[in-house]
Amino acid sequence: MDKKIPWIVKYRPRRVEEVVDQDDAKRLLREWLGQWARGRVPERRAALLYGPPGVGKTSLVEALAREFDFEVLELNASDYRRKTDIERTVGVAAGKRPLFKKGLLILMDEVDGIDPRVDEGGVEALLEVVKSTSNPLVFTANDPWREQIRPLRELCLMVEFKELSEGAIVSLLQRICEGERLQCDKEALKLIAERSMGDARAAVNDLQAVAEGYGRVTVDVVRALIRGRDKSLNIWRTLNSIVYAKQAWMAKKAVTQSEVDYETLITWLSDNIPKKYTEPEDLYRAYEALSRATLQIARSKTSGEWSLLPYVFDLIGPGITFARTSGSISKEKYGFPEKVRLAIQLKTTREIREKLAEQLARNTLTSKSTVKNEIIPYLTIIFRNTSNPIIAARIAIGYRLDKETIKFLAGPNTENVLKTIEKIRKAKPEEVKEEKPETKKQSKTTKEERTAKNNKAKSTGSLDEFLKRS
Amino acid sequence: MSIAELLWVEKYRPRTLDDIVNQKEVVERLKVFVRERSMPHLLFAGPPGTGKTTAAHALAHDLYGENYRQYMLELNASDERGINVIREKVKEFARSRAPEGVPFKVILLDESDNMTGDAQQALRRLMELYTASTRFILVANYPSKIIDPIQSRCAFFRFTPLSRDDVVGRLRYIAEREGVDYDDEALDTIYEISEGDMRRAINVLQAASAMGKVTIETVYKVVGMARPREVREMLKQALSGDFTGARNLMRKLMLEYGLSGEDIVRQVHREIFSQEVNIPEELRVMIADYLGEIHFRLIEGSDDDIQLSALLAWLALMGKRLK
Repeated sequence: MDKKIPWIVKYRPRRVEEVVDQDDAKRLLREWLGQWARGRVPERRAALLYGPPGVGKTSLVEALAREFDFEVLELNASDYRRKTDIERTVGVAAGKRPLFKKGLLILMDEVDGIDPRVDEGGVEALLEVVKSTSNPLVFTANDPWREQIRPLRELCLMVEFKELSEGAIVSLLQRICEGERLQCDKEALKLIAERSMGDARAAVNDLQAVAEGYGRVTVDVVRALIRGRDKSLNIWRTLNSIVYAKQAWMAKKAVTQSEVDYETLITWLSDNIPKKYTEPEDLYRAYEALSRATLQIARSKTSGEWSLLPYVFDLIGPGITFARTSGSISKEKYGFPEKVRLAIQLKTTREIREKLAEQLARNTLTSKSTVKNEIIPYLTIIFRNTSNPIIAARIAIGYRLDKETIKFLAGPNTENVLKTIEKIRKAKPEEVKEEKPETKKQSKTTKEERTAKNNKAKSTGSLDEFLKRS
Repeated sequence: MSIAELLWVEKYRPRTLDDIVNQKEVVERLKVFVRERSMPHLLFAGPPGTGKTTAAHALAHDLYGENYRQYMLELNASDERGINVIREKVKEFARSRAPEGVPFKVILLDESDNMTGDAQQALRRLMELYTASTRFILVANYPSKIIDPIQSRCAFFRFTPLSRDDVVGRLRYIAEREGVDYDDEALDTIYEISEGDMRRAINVLQAASAMGKVTIETVYKVVGMARPREVREMLKQALSGDFTGARNLMRKLMLEYGLSGEDIVRQVHREIFSQEVNIPEELRVMIADYLGEIHFRLIEGSDDDIQLSALLAWLALMGKRLK
């Protein structure tokens, strides 16, 4: 047994196939890095890998880099967080050529650790690099939903890494046991895996600690080693401890000792409370506590007074526990928050709406918020009207709306509108091409008004009729 | 007829002061500025959709000609809340010299009553600093939200709500040009619904015309559809005690329509006083009260999903007590 090399390094996957699970992430990243390798710069120049610790984020990047013959330049975000540091390190690396291999990949860990107050301008500096880098840039984060890296999220290819299953970790541990010619009880490995809560790195380290300390890996030894450690609670256990706490301090301890940060915990609570609490009274008090907790977080962020945070813990711990006074606790199981799943989709919808509002605000001389509240609702009506897609199609052409925007406006009627646009394009290609709504607005309007006056055309009716008239 | 179509609010916007048919007093005074090629800072105040921004653009057009927008900086305080953004842009714009023959450049600050008190103080300094080269036109719905020192530096113009004749006349003009099939009473209905807001009136007309003949029915249909049905449905489900169902609708509103928490709160606010939502009158006021609290929490920057969940949980509780 070689004690010098940590097993976590010794058994680090060399090939992509050796990385456990994470098939979606493998596919996404391979496609993305493949583009770089073929000399094409992908639309998103940076990738943000997120997921709990020890699930293979860095390993997969290294294995893929090997596959495509890329050098890896590793930077730890906790060392280089301020604007000047970032410009000096990442910024410079982003423009470099590789020395020995086909390409150069920059890997920056723990990007969610950037502190917007201490590391002023850090995120902005990173954004600049992301926009212009000529080398693939990979960030990793445990918690990608932190507000401070929101702008980064919007520019990056988001790659999710899932918590590893107990089975996957057990088989990984078994492989190591074979490699080390160790005698291991399967039950003991299961116990280690369970304790690691989906973190392969923690499991391998535990295995090595047990093996080196005791020479064998049995259930008793593992149990003995684990006992007495201050266990951090995983999310399910945290939720359970809060819901079932008998006294306020227990609920509070569940929050402060949880390995998940308070914002993640709030998201999980928000989705799981209605599964556990059934009485409207209880439900209302629980949400009022959560609502006040997020208000308190916002206050401490804007004022920079982090001393306000402990009250947040009170509200999301005991505040939730004792929101329940009359009703019983339902047996329904906890679930993964919908909200996290929806967040990415929501981001896209919001972006489209924002972009459209910006364009129309310029054209109609008003604010984006007026466009959103006073114009987009009416456009939606026109675009979703199934009986007459011609007007929607003409407006889409007039403002050169892209497919995504049309889809946002037309919803289930999208195909109908797109087909009509296609037909108009085929029938009148020269006219469609000419339109430049923003620059030729003035002259076109008068022309349009003139022609409209002359033929008094009805804007409804069949497409053929319309094309003939125009 | 051209293939491409535009929003009628854009297509039929008056381009010059002469094109503006109402607000006669205001327009006459503005024309004097054009003739003398000199003007003070201006404050345009009045309800939405009465032509304030249009008048500002028409004024600039008459001063500088077709390419007037190069002599004008357009800012919207509700989109650019930060005074720093405004300061930077104003500074940069004011620094460049006014070209030969142009007495001053114009900075149009739309929805300026959305600026915070601090931002207004900063703006006041900017107005003093750049008086030599630029004129400000401030546009606001509520002039009382503009601090006195700014008001006293501006010539004040009040835009009155448009009359029935103004609105209906304009709608008829557009309908004729567009070859829209319409009932006369339908145009009256549009006026009543839009409360003198020309922008809303024209939008309703355009959407209604897309449905076929513009009748009183199509007008009401369009106005009803302009607010997502899901808002009322969400409200009803919450009040019936179905928290989870209501929350699913809330998320649908956010996802499909891209609405923010504040958007949804505003729409709920409109719904609670509708007779189609059948609840005791005093509950309407209680909901408004709690809605205001949730709105405040949203403005403070706390999580949309959680604040709205809290609202729905409260509504579910109220619904239970009613039973």
